[in-house]
Amino acid sequence: MRRSFFLCALATIGPVALAAQATPTPKRDSAARADSVSRADSIALVRELEQMQSAGAPDTTGSRGTSQQSASNPRLLPDISVVGDFIADASPRGSTQEDGTRLGVRELEVAFQAAVDPYFRGDVFLGISDEEGIAIEQAYLTATALPAQLEARLGRFLMPFGKQNTTHRHDLHAIEYPYVIQSFFGPEGLKGTGIYLSRVFAPFGFYQEVIATAVDRFGERDESLVTREPANRKLGGLGYSARLRNYFDLSQAANVEVSFSGITGKREQPMLELPSDDPDGEPLNGYNQRQSVVAVDVTYRWRPLQQGLYKSFILQGELMQQRNPDVTIPELLGPTGDRVGGYAFARYQIGRRSFLGARYDFVDAESSADGNTTAASGYYEFFPSEFSKLVAGYERYMAGGGAKGINRLILQAAFSLGPHKPHPF
Amino acid sequence: MKSTTRNKVRLIFPALAAGLLFASPATAQLKVVTSTTDLADIATQVGGNKVTVRHIGEGYQDPHFIEAKPSFVLQLRNADIWAFVGLELEAGWMPLLLNGARNRKINPGGAGYVDVSKVIPLLDVPSGQVDRSQGDVHALGNPHYWLDPQNGRRIARLFQRKFSEMDPANAATYATNTTAFEAKLSSAERAWQPQLALIRGKPVVAWHTSWRYLANYTKVNIVGFMEPKPGVPPSPAHLAGLIQTVRRTGAKVIIMEPFYSRKTADFVASKTGIKVLVLPPSVGGVRGLNDYVALMKSDIEKLAAAVQ
Repeated sequence: MRRSFFLCALATIGPVALAAQATPTPKRDSAARADSVSRADSIALVRELEQMQSAGAPDTTGSRGTSQQSASNPRLLPDISVVGDFIADASPRGSTQEDGTRLGVRELEVAFQAAVDPYFRGDVFLGISDEEGIAIEQAYLTATALPAQLEARLGRFLMPFGKQNTTHRHDLHAIEYPYVIQSFFGPEGLKGTGIYLSRVFAPFGFYQEVIATAVDRFGERDESLVTREPANRKLGGLGYSARLRNYFDLSQAANVEVSFSGITGKREQPMLELPSDDPDGEPLNGYNQRQSVVAVDVTYRWRPLQQGLYKSFILQGELMQQRNPDVTIPELLGPTGDRVGGYAFARYQIGRRSFLGARYDFVDAESSADGNTTAASGYYEFFPSEFSKLVAGYERYMAGGGAKGINRLILQAAFSLGPHKPHPF
Repeated sequence: MKSTTRNKVRLIFPALAAGLLFASPATAQLKVVTSTTDLADIATQVGGNKVTVRHIGEGYQDPHFIEAKPSFVLQLRNADIWAFVGLELEAGWMPLLLNGARNRKINPGGAGYVDVSKVIPLLDVPSGQVDRSQGDVHALGNPHYWLDPQNGRRIARLFQRKFSEMDPANAATYATNTTAFEAKLSSAERAWQPQLALIRGKPVVAWHTSWRYLANYTKVNIVGFMEPKPGVPPSPAHLAGLIQTVRRTGAKVIIMEPFYSRKTADFVASKTGIKVLVLPPSVGGVRGLNDYVALMKSDIEKLAAAVQ
């Protein structure tokens, strides 16, 4: 009832107050309800809460006991949150989105997170999109009771490879993953299903973490390729990765992380069609080939503690090398030799809620016949609150090989519903 | 010769083992990490030389927006006690640090996981539906409770109980230290009574709801907030209304933390003549203000001087 009153007051008085700004008059000065107290604002909220409290609801005797504790999560429900990620593609020559939409819901992510028991925590992230329907983005069990400060996960997770790949796409400072990640791993980054083991240590006085994984396969399966045997038939065909993080505080305000990653595994690659060994089987058009990627990433962050709400700066770069065998058989169409790609990214905070960012991308083509991809982009990010963001990005994309450059203009709106999530670091 | 050496080795190893076994507990100090400097200072006052205390946030930093730097993980991974304000004040960074630390003692359910808010009578506890249209409202109550000296006492007593539970050998020391801390606080309270009399009932504007507990203690009357809703920066429409509030109520001071830009407060001051008072909300918020009692004394004295 009281809240309804405040909402009505807001609706009624809001326009009046706006008009008051434009043409302030002494008459309005005397109007008691045109001040901040009359709105549904901080002071009104405080007054409302005071009245609720004086009505005797909470215990103020010093020990809240179970009454308030039980109010937060009375049925042991998991934390449920939803992230919406909307894209508008205003590129002058048509949509540059994979699904060709100008306005689209890129993804809804629904997350369920809770402690399973005293020994495990469970995290499930479902991705919902028009293209893929419902997909398991991540679903893993984390062992929280291991000795020697080890952490183990079992399930599907974002692969701990490089810096940006470990960040959910909607949490990126740019709109899309860098092209090197898209080209080497796919537009949604690299995920894996398997075992993850990490340990934090500091033998030299600074933070170090080593993370190793063994996953069912390196990258997503290309359903259009039929191979003689699955890439993961032998243990050597699984995906194996390792990452070493090194983090240094340069001062209270500045820090740097220099990390190294590597992954190897067998992946299906295309080839000219061959008849199947099985007379009833589909013709073979793929073969398994080992591929490895090594990477180094560097992130410098600056955020003065006292002005941290208003000022910050990030400079980040990743360099990756994809290693493929030098195959000279003309029927095999997979990548050969080494490819290199990377990006440099900078982001500067220009106000409490506003940021400017820029990124330069480059990726070697799969074959020397194709030109290398380069792209330069700029972003403006605006955060109405911690739980929503609006991004406008412009990109000049050069596919190489004599292709004409493409100008892309993309807008993003993302929001988060549910419990307050930790801010990604 | 060989047998002599063997005998020595036989003697040395048990002696070393016994030494390690019995010497370690006697010299071990409780390792306490707190989320804020205020909790750190009170923990230090209670623990004395029986504890080592470190803190994550600085007093001049907005405690809502601390970065979960990996170097903090190193502080937490060997901690015996993690004491934090609670009520979701640390929700933006604490989970990452606790997960990274992999220290069962200080995770939920562990003996060293100390949510200090559990012993505090809270203000601004919503009993109905809460949603984010109300801004960054804390659904479990206002977390800035250390700015009431009564709560300073409660925090000290909580630490005394927790330290004694985890280190019973030094329980008497913790009890003595707590008594000394409370006596120091009581003495300071008696000294600032004249200032409280000056402050009582005076209208002020606060930037954020963080000053609610100080207002509750001093009986200063907060008539408006610079933020239209908790955590939301002031909008022109809100400022227009706030300027009218200041004129109508005769508010003398805008109280704000050092980590907010004072441009907007200065604008309101330029339109109304109200003073802008930057008060440290935490120990270490300004240089030289290094303990909890000094913080409270300084804030009350400055507020009393400003509202005249």
